[in-house]
Amino acid sequence: MGEALEKSGVTTLPGPFAVGRYARKLQEWMRERSRVQLIGEVTGVGRSKVQAYFELRDGEGAIPCAIWLNDLEKAGLSEGALRDGAEVVISGGPDYYPGGGQASPNFCFRATHVRLAGEGDLIARLEALRKQLRAEGLFELQKQLHRPALPKAIGVVTAESGAARRDLLAGLQRRGWGGTVVWGFAPVQDRHAAPAIGRALQDLAARPEVEAIVVTRGGGSLADLWAFCDETLCRTVALLRVPVISAVGHERDKTLIDDVAAVACSTPTHAAEAAVPLDCLAAKEGLERSATALRRAGEGAIGSRSRHLGALARGPERALQRQRSSLNQKIREIRAAAERGLAERATSQRRIGTVVLERARRRAAGADMEKRRVALHRATVTLRAHEPERTLERGYALVEGEGGEPLTSAEATAAAEQVKLRFADGRIRARTEGDVEREREA
Amino acid sequence: MSERPESYEAAVERLEEIIDRLDSGQAGLRETLELCKEGRDLVGYCAAELDEVGEGLKELRLDDLAAKLEVGSEQG
Repeated sequence: MGEALEKSGVTTLPGPFAVGRYARKLQEWMRERSRVQLIGEVTGVGRSKVQAYFELRDGEGAIPCAIWLNDLEKAGLSEGALRDGAEVVISGGPDYYPGGGQASPNFCFRATHVRLAGEGDLIARLEALRKQLRAEGLFELQKQLHRPALPKAIGVVTAESGAARRDLLAGLQRRGWGGTVVWGFAPVQDRHAAPAIGRALQDLAARPEVEAIVVTRGGGSLADLWAFCDETLCRTVALLRVPVISAVGHERDKTLIDDVAAVACSTPTHAAEAAVPLDCLAAKEGLERSATALRRAGEGAIGSRSRHLGALARGPERALQRQRSSLNQKIREIRAAAERGLAERATSQRRIGTVVLERARRRAAGADMEKRRVALHRATVTLRAHEPERTLERGYALVEGEGGEPLTSAEATAAAEQVKLRFADGRIRARTEGDVEREREA
Repeated sequence: MSERPESYEAAVERLEEIIDRLDSGQAGLRETLELCKEGRDLVGYCAAELDEVGEGLKELRLDDLAAKLEVGSEQG
């Protein structure tokens, strides 16, 4: 065993020293440390007869502190200012009480001065926290979450009696949204605020129907809004799987929760729009327009194609009709052409026949024919010279019986009694009287 | 599209695509009729979603819900 201790080097360390002496040396050493200022939130304030004690803490750690009551009085804080939740700046250094025969030893930061933290202190602390959380990538996590356009239920963390609650509801109703709001009421301004807000957020995020969470409160000083810069709260928000919309303070107030949230809004009304991105009233109108467009497209497609089909269906019939008309026209033309051709051919053949007959006749008649024609002509002239008309033209008259028969003797004329005298220019009736008078023979 | 849309915004996005396609006049008859049917289904889905949040705002308290859950688990 001794050998093992030697090997570990324990037995070679200096000492052993008397503990009381060592404790006093430790006290001396601590009191020689630099005097500094610390900033943090006061918790667990208590008092003894001679000093006040408390813990100063932030998200990363805590230190037990103590201040002599006379030093506290000199600091000039108002009554009750050193209270739980107060952000303070203390000045001092580490101290160690070695204890004694009856008293327990303890360590504390011995404050010799204390003041409430000012805006500048808070801003400096906020910037340090912001830098740290950004470096850890916690600002991006929420922003990568999907935010539904039309959530059915949203969670809201706010003060039960705040104006922010009323403004948020008005904003939701203006969008025509009538879903479910699950309220997670929490204090929004004291040292209990940040843990309570954190719990409400986690409880809301655990509900499956909640699709987005709004965290909101009205404006105030940075100290009033300090709960929303709480490191633990902001880390909780960053890791939630439900998108968080923050609307804390007014536009100029920029808290740490705004950095880690999915969306940061300047007012509760804007937060309502971010929580329900869809304007339900406008969406309904848009949907009606879409339905109309679809109906028209469907009817139009069928209508135009029906007309087209109808036109196509009539096409063959029209084409047949066109062909039929064309055919009829051709038939008429052919018939007309045929008739014209037959007539011409008949005329032509007739002409040819006449010529042929004439030629045949001439061939048949031969040379005598011409002589006969001359003799005939001559006879005709002679005949015409002997016609009674030629004689009548010279002043003679012809006596005709009642029946038009020529009466060529006095006997016949006397016997007829009624006769007609025919001159070249006409006939007259005549009556005979007496007997025949004989020509004396010479 | 026979399956239920992933979300309201996915349905609206698809609906806009459909109407753009129909407006382009490039869809044939069969495609047009299919798109119209899909579009009508999407309009029906979106209208139902809007109806769900159109009946008036309901308010619940987280505390009440937690109490109900506790009662339920005790009875269970």
